Amino acid sequence: MTQATVTEARSGTAHSGTTERWIAIMGGTALGLAGLRRGSWALAALGGGLFLAGAAGVPIAEPVARRVREGNLGLGDFGDAAERLPGVAGLLPTAQREPTTTQANVTVAAPPDKLFRHWRNFRNLTELFPHLDAVEVLSDTESRWKAHGPGGVEVVWHSALDKVRENELITWHTLDGAQLPHRGSVMFKPAPGDRGTEVRLTLVYQPPAGAGGRAVSRLFGMAPEQQAREALRRLKRIVEAGELPTIKGQPRGNRGMREVME
Amino acid sequence: MRALCWNGVNDLRVERVPDPTLLGPHDAIIKVKLSSVCGSDLHLIDGYVPTMKPGDVIGHEFLGEVVEKGPEVLRLNRGDRVITVSIIGCGKCWHCQHEEYSLCDNSNPQPAYEEAAYGHCTAGIFGYSHAFGGYAGSHAEYIRVPFADTNCFRVPEGVSDEKAVFVSDAVPTGYMAADMGGIKKGDIVAVWGCGGVGQMAIRSAYLMGAERVIGIDRYPYRLEAAQMKAGAEPLDYTRVDVFDALLAMTGGRGPDVCIDAVGMEADGYDTGIEYWYDRTKQAIGLENDRPAVLRQMIECCRKGGTLSIVGVYGGFIDKFPMGAAMNKALTFRMGQQHGQRYVKRLFEHIEKGELDPSYLLTHKWSLDDGPRGYRMFKEKIDDCMRVVFTP
Repeated sequence: MTQATVTEARSGTAHSGTTERWIAIMGGTALGLAGLRRGSWALAALGGGLFLAGAAGVPIAEPVARRVREGNLGLGDFGDAAERLPGVAGLLPTAQREPTTTQANVTVAAPPDKLFRHWRNFRNLTELFPHLDAVEVLSDTESRWKAHGPGGVEVVWHSALDKVRENELITWHTLDGAQLPHRGSVMFKPAPGDRGTEVRLTLVYQPPAGAGGRAVSRLFGMAPEQQAREALRRLKRIVEAGELPTIKGQPRGNRGMREVME
Repeated sequence: MRALCWNGVNDLRVERVPDPTLLGPHDAIIKVKLSSVCGSDLHLIDGYVPTMKPGDVIGHEFLGEVVEKGPEVLRLNRGDRVITVSIIGCGKCWHCQHEEYSLCDNSNPQPAYEEAAYGHCTAGIFGYSHAFGGYAGSHAEYIRVPFADTNCFRVPEGVSDEKAVFVSDAVPTGYMAADMGGIKKGDIVAVWGCGGVGQMAIRSAYLMGAERVIGIDRYPYRLEAAQMKAGAEPLDYTRVDVFDALLAMTGGRGPDVCIDAVGMEADGYDTGIEYWYDRTKQAIGLENDRPAVLRQMIECCRKGGTLSIVGVYGGFIDKFPMGAAMNKALTFRMGQQHGQRYVKRLFEHIEKGELDPSYLLTHKWSLDDGPRGYRMFKEKIDDCMRVVFTP
């Protein structure tokens, strides 16, 4: 079984379709409100959870699967680079090799060169990926990345740049020995009209064993698609608004404070 | 400081909470002088908005004084008397650049709720649940305002606090309702709901050239204010059939523009079985919003007319007469207010004496009376239009 069919199969089962999504949202709404009406926060929370599950349907699953089938991950020429990576193209049985491809898109009201420069300065990336502590540039193409997991466990890996096209594209892959082998690409494309730049971030995780998504979540406390989406949201907010809006540290009522402490 | 906190359905308490501090470089701290209740708060208090958390400070319509500002706040100074638009814009994203501030991409720090429910996230709102950012509200002695340069506006010297405070929300919401109606000379406008927003919509419709404006409600004191203060022709929907009356008043055409200033908790007692159908479904959580007003507007509006919706809806509605809407070629415009777009114009109208929102302020109470004030506002006791707290 090739990588492509694996991903396709996953998208068929793991990602919910539109109907399921709506059922989840509607059920979530109903439960959430029922919970509130009855003063039951547990029920309301369950409703809220379903609410969110409805949205986690990852609408990009099928398009991504199709691109994988067609050998084009939206990575420009990066597809070829992927072929050169050991173990990526279905060398092992599927049970042990489930690649997780995730993609996020955002439009930022800034020109491509500004965003390209922001991303190319790896020091800025620690702001975009909350689990990332430091990126150390070792040479023109190689860098050393240091991150932490939910329990504060340190994770270190080396990464190499594959393609750098000024103001358009950056692709990279992890080098041998990475605990969580992955490759990624970020593309910058002028948006139509005066809308700025369309940014696409694609991450393909190739964990040594087990289901990809779960391994990523375990290591970084965040599902891959959430990670990609959050990174682009932060990029947008930092570049456009000049800060990451927050409510952390604002006043709350006593009951609220107690709840936070518990 | 003291603040009015939501602790559960119909459970508001005045509590002692820490003072707010600057959290971002574009923040300002405002010492609150006046802070008004709003009809949309009732949806939170009644439990129709599912992302409230115990301890949340509510309130979003306020006037005060700048007492502290972050390093990147350039337009404001300490001591400035300002109003703050209830809905927060970052000022920099595409939507803010196009004066669609309530659609701001960046001001909501908790976008996951709305992305799940609506597909996209919209702007953060003060004191208006975590789906809209979870920002602490204005029923407090102090409030932190993010992106203060975009959201705070100095009040012109000749304009009193009582006139200015409603430029935070009620006035721009009503004004935008009329604006979205695309009112042309000779148009007849009908406004459902004669609370603060409805009153302002009526007045604004005249400012934009409406020939006649009809105000629909069931509370005599609101209809009286609509008539005496805003100049509307009053219509009590408990006494007449709204459809028949509107057609009789418009030569059988129906109003050219219909404005919904009611939203998801429509009374709709006149609709009988329909009201109880929606009320029941809403109570057991099968429907979020009761759309009695919407249905009636679609029925009454003239062919090719415009429906302008500023009453708040949160989720799903039922039995939406799409066939009537489509075949009558109606235009729907709606949204939370883009107040920042209108503030300058509104203060000009106020300064010229063309608009005076101060009559909305029927009760000025201490913040300590917050829970009692909301009860009075909700039960529409003592001809209460708006309670405004003085922290």
